Amino acid sequence: MKPIYFIVFIVLAVVQIGTPLKMIFDNEDILISGTAYKFKTRPIDPTDPFRGKYITLQFEMNSFKTSDTTYVYGDEVRVYIENDQEGFAKVVRVSREPLDIDGDYVMAKVTNTYSDEILFELPFDRFYMEETKAYDAEKAYREVNRNAQEEDVYAVVYVKDGASVLDDVIIAGLPIQEYVE
Amino acid sequence: MGSKFNKELQTLVGDKIISPELADKIGQYYATKDAGKPNKLFMIFGIFGALLVGSGIILMLAHNWDDFSRLTKTILAFGPLLLGQIFAGFSILKNKSATWKEASGTFLFFAVGACMALVSQIYNIPGELGSFLLTWIVLCLPLVYLLRSHAVALLTILLSTYYAVEVGLWNYRNTETPWLYIAFIGAVLPYYYTLITKHTTSNTVTIFTWIFPASIAIALSAFIGRSEDLGFVMYITMFGFLYSIGRLPVFKELRTLRNGFLIIGSLGTIVSLMIFTFRWIWDELPETFNYDTQELYTAVVVSLLSISVLGYTVIRKGIRAVNLFQVAFVVFGLVYFLLPDTGILPVVLMNALVFALGMSAIKIGADKVNFGILNYGLLIISILIICRFFDTGMSFVVRGILFVMVGAGFFLTNYIMLKKQQRVK
Repeated sequence: MKPIYFIVFIVLAVVQIGTPLKMIFDNEDILISGTAYKFKTRPIDPTDPFRGKYITLQFEMNSFKTSDTTYVYGDEVRVYIENDQEGFAKVVRVSREPLDIDGDYVMAKVTNTYSDEILFELPFDRFYMEETKAYDAEKAYREVNRNAQEEDVYAVVYVKDGASVLDDVIIAGLPIQEYVE
Repeated sequence: MGSKFNKELQTLVGDKIISPELADKIGQYYATKDAGKPNKLFMIFGIFGALLVGSGIILMLAHNWDDFSRLTKTILAFGPLLLGQIFAGFSILKNKSATWKEASGTFLFFAVGACMALVSQIYNIPGELGSFLLTWIVLCLPLVYLLRSHAVALLTILLSTYYAVEVGLWNYRNTETPWLYIAFIGAVLPYYYTLITKHTTSNTVTIFTWIFPASIAIALSAFIGRSEDLGFVMYITMFGFLYSIGRLPVFKELRTLRNGFLIIGSLGTIVSLMIFTFRWIWDELPETFNYDTQELYTAVVVSLLSISVLGYTVIRKGIRAVNLFQVAFVVFGLVYFLLPDTGILPVVLMNALVFALGMSAIKIGADKVNFGILNYGLLIISILIICRFFDTGMSFVVRGILFVMVGAGFFLTNYIMLKKQQRVK
């Protein structure tokens, strides 16, 4: 076996380790130095074949009134956000290009357009759960929803320079893992 | 050497066919002959062991252990990866046996996927399944050549097919086309080629010779977008392409049943063309063709590929070496694009084409004295006739006579073949 094979393998091994490490560093960076926002949610419970059980989150913040009709399905947009009086994230502006305004933004995908409004989908829509708890989490959500306490469910998301990390989902003041126990 | 072989030798000695000395000699000959070769069974168990352990780790990690801290989870994610890399690196450095390389490669393959999956879990990284598969394939593709591993090459083809279908077909929100699939398959191709030229008749080659065309046939569906009618053109052309590849000189020593290119290409051509022998499909076609679509370009590229393979065969062996299955897609293409609005004519031509294909299969079978191919040809014609019963107003008497004739044809041709075979013997 030629030594070049081993050298190439070492390079490959470094890349194989480096790729997940890069994912970790990027996300840690946002968690440490990003700003936390609360997004009101509605969860449900599907499965990913490799990564296990998760709940899919749907956010109440999913539309923006605009007269701009050039948006089409699938467009990547920047959603500029700020906190409202109750401390939940709300939309300030939506734009394809970076805007020269102070404030954080998250990336989103346009899912539907109307004459005076666009609908979009936020990227942090997956929250991984221990497989035994994912079903209980879904049930817990329905329970909370039936009692009309919808405002109690929200996601904590750290945002920095357009990148975002979903840190936790809170039901009635408790992290969802603790709530379902 | 197997115990069954030794038993046979003992029987031969017992029946006084060979002397005990000769039996010893034969036994020794085979024992020394196989000494240098890796133990096949051991290798297969090695691969399966690594496969099970690897996928078991993925499943365990997919449980999402809430009780572990972020750091514990991260260490757990990198453990199998480092272990796999140490084993694979050791196999390369010490130039260990194929068993070592296959097993460590398979394990490392899964460890890479498990590590990324766990990191995605820890940080709730949403990422589409398609992009996850993409990164996984890219990170493991070089292992095919570094370890010369059949198992990793197979896993790469399977995962690439999954990627193509996930991105182009199942993901309804995306209208993307999985172009990178072509790059992945192209990257494994040289490995496959050296394999064929070195061990044409081995079982490994047979597996690859089935997996490759099957993967291409499945993945092609991911390249069809909105112009679904052109999908048929793409598929028929692609089946012609696969068939022509199956007839290339490199596959000459392969038995027909081991040649996946030939069989998938032939069956695919017949089934798709059979659909076009019905009248309704021609009425369903859109009135005008949209000539500026991705499907048309893909079909053109596949056609060019098929025609170049065909041209190669003609140049190498002359026009007589080409059979009707290889040019069926050209006939279909001409009829489809030039004569779509001419009433019953394209339907008649398609029926004639399928009939001619059946006849040519019978002829190939008769020339090679191969009962399988002969009856395949008869089957094509029978199915064609049965299909025509559904959409023609023939009287029952005529239909009955036709059935009797086809049945008699089966008996007669097989009987003539049997006689011919006996004469040859």
